[in-house]
Amino acid sequence: MVKMLVPYPDKCTGCRFCEIACTLYHEGKINHADARLQVHKRDVRIDFPSVCTHCVACKDECCVTACPVEAIKIEDGIVRVDEDECTACGTCVEVCPFGVMRMEETAFKCDLCGGDPTCVKFCSMGAIKYEEPKPEQYEAVRKLLKAEE
Amino acid sequence: MSMKGFSGKILKIDLSSGKDSIKSTDERYVKKYLGGSGFAIELVYHGVPEGADALSPENVLAMAPGVFDGFAVPTGGKTAFAAKSPATNTLAESIMGGSIGAELRHAGYDALEIFGKAEKPSYLFIEDDKIEINEADDLWGKDTRQVPDILKKRHGWDVKVACIGVAGEKLVRMACIDCDDRQAGRAGLGAVMGSKNLKAIVVRGTGDLEPADPGKLLEIALRYQKIMEAAPSFNEDTKYGTGEFLGWINKEKGVFPTRNWQESFFKEREQIDPYYWAPRYVSKNKACFACTKPCGKLFEIKSGKFSGVAIDGLEYETLYSLGGGCGNADIESVAKANEVCDLVGIDTISAGVAIGFAMELIQRGIITEDEVGMKLTWDNASDSVPKMCEMIGRREGFGDILSEGVKRAAEKIGKGAERYAVHTKGMEPPAYDVRGMKGHGLSFMTSTRGACHLRAGMYAPELVGKFWRWEGIDRLSIEGKGEKVATMENFMGVYDSVGLCKFSRGFFLIDKLREVIEAISGLQFTEEELLKIGERIHNMKGGFNVKHGITRKDWLLPPRVLEDPIPEGPSKGAKITVEEMNNMLDDYMAVRGWTTDGAPTPEKLKELDIV
Repeated sequence: MVKMLVPYPDKCTGCRFCEIACTLYHEGKINHADARLQVHKRDVRIDFPSVCTHCVACKDECCVTACPVEAIKIEDGIVRVDEDECTACGTCVEVCPFGVMRMEETAFKCDLCGGDPTCVKFCSMGAIKYEEPKPEQYEAVRKLLKAEE
Repeated sequence: MSMKGFSGKILKIDLSSGKDSIKSTDERYVKKYLGGSGFAIELVYHGVPEGADALSPENVLAMAPGVFDGFAVPTGGKTAFAAKSPATNTLAESIMGGSIGAELRHAGYDALEIFGKAEKPSYLFIEDDKIEINEADDLWGKDTRQVPDILKKRHGWDVKVACIGVAGEKLVRMACIDCDDRQAGRAGLGAVMGSKNLKAIVVRGTGDLEPADPGKLLEIALRYQKIMEAAPSFNEDTKYGTGEFLGWINKEKGVFPTRNWQESFFKEREQIDPYYWAPRYVSKNKACFACTKPCGKLFEIKSGKFSGVAIDGLEYETLYSLGGGCGNADIESVAKANEVCDLVGIDTISAGVAIGFAMELIQRGIITEDEVGMKLTWDNASDSVPKMCEMIGRREGFGDILSEGVKRAAEKIGKGAERYAVHTKGMEPPAYDVRGMKGHGLSFMTSTRGACHLRAGMYAPELVGKFWRWEGIDRLSIEGKGEKVATMENFMGVYDSVGLCKFSRGFFLIDKLREVIEAISGLQFTEEELLKIGERIHNMKGGFNVKHGITRKDWLLPPRVLEDPIPEGPSKGAKITVEEMNNMLDDYMAVRGWTTDGAPTPEKLKELDIV
């Protein structure tokens, strides 16, 4: 089984360090909007991370099948965007149930930092773990996201 | 500019005219003031005219993110607020862990300077280079959770909101500023916002933050993350938060001020100790922005008369002020009072000390329960403390008198009430009985914002016996404390300017900050240069205070510390004599190069290039 980012919403403190570390690693600069995962910080009771599930928990809202030009592919369990094929139509951003598909000149997303995710290293409370997927954890996040709408 | 990490722009807002402008800064400015607290204090020091009233339009409210804020530094997400304090009439900073400072940097500014007064209730909206002063009639009277809720629904979830509660509107002298359930709590800066008709500051920034050396910055951040997590105390620190050592300070050291400092050992401690309440009431950890060592706790009460309470909290200081200090052994009541303070927007330390003071006055028959309008007694603390917090925040009934702080309240009450008012410079003290740690007592006096545990943090070296350059420190001795306090004040000035949490000072010593500053800004500093900046900041505050009429006579310790020895417990018999107080002050002034009256000399100001 390929390891994934697994969210544990009840452990999230809302510090947002994962977002900072993510963009610093990928872009060499910091901008929360470019982070490949998002921390939702709503009130004193609610903060949780939403991460890319790499097709494990997207069900029928999957970016891979939604992409009209087949620019999103699964390689070794990691969902990747082929930037040459991407037309930046935004469909994947719309369908992504976890809100972690981002768009600049092309779509871009979490690539698990090549198998050593930076966000996890800073998540000292264990709200994001790199391990075998646990569907119930993704469901918990999906429920929180639904409650927000 | 060649310097990275800073935009070189300080946004100035004149609420009277509604106009905004940019003050351009450069590398020299950073070399001189560093950032965060250093910037905020520079803006207030140069912006507030001599003798201006703290609640007048002439006062300046500055907000400045620390150098590390927004960049990837574990525990480095602090933002400084500063103004002339309506509590102490001194230049006071208050540091918070809310995310608004980092957002301001993303919007393209290194700091914010607000002056003047809006004609009617308003809020400031900053979205990158769009600046608006909007009407806030619908926000007036709302609490510190309702305000961000309304504003986020209006402007989007990504905006950051710093706001005041009702207390700030009503110019309560212990009103705080709230952001993300974190507070710039001390020195009444919320009343400064209220005096300007400014209910909230809303910021949205979409720009990038570009460090000078991203790879190096990430490498440093990872290294410190590992050092921090490997520390033996990491588990306890995050499990129990800042109250972790409450039991030790109370029982082993006997310096936990109790019942308005009449005692220093709280026998009924059990419930207010986090070792009791954390497993029972805490459902998850809460952190400041960019903090990977969370001391905050989501404390929830799910049944009973305080059912529904949900706070980020129960800090050590609050466990004292609303707990032991009021003889309140009921943890649910302490949590409820904490929530009331947060929502109405007052500092938990000052509120608790003011209530404990009133309780002692009732105990001594100086005021009566009838005058106060409730049974504000030690044995009825559980019921009365949360209620009185609300009355202080709203200036209702007797709460109106206490909302002025213990110094002014004592003057108003008369009948010898001053004898029981515990404060320095009009600031209510934090949770360390300085009779049993004399250097910390000195730092209560020298702290430019009045009684404070964080301007010098002397309690830690004195309780542990060693820190940084020192070993074998005797907490009951006055020997060499002037030099230590002055040095620690300079140290902490650097901390507040880089925006690091003081919970990290055990492993993030000044020398270690140099490479972080360089990775962010590209600027090099020596350890001496950094401490010199800390010294400059302290001298600016000291110089400001003298110009505004606050001198040594206003610094002195309260009668309780000088006249009443600690009655029992491990520190039984300890007090600071008048002679010890004066010797420590003389010692300190000499180390600082100040006059015996507490004024920085012209030579000192010249040496530090303070104009």
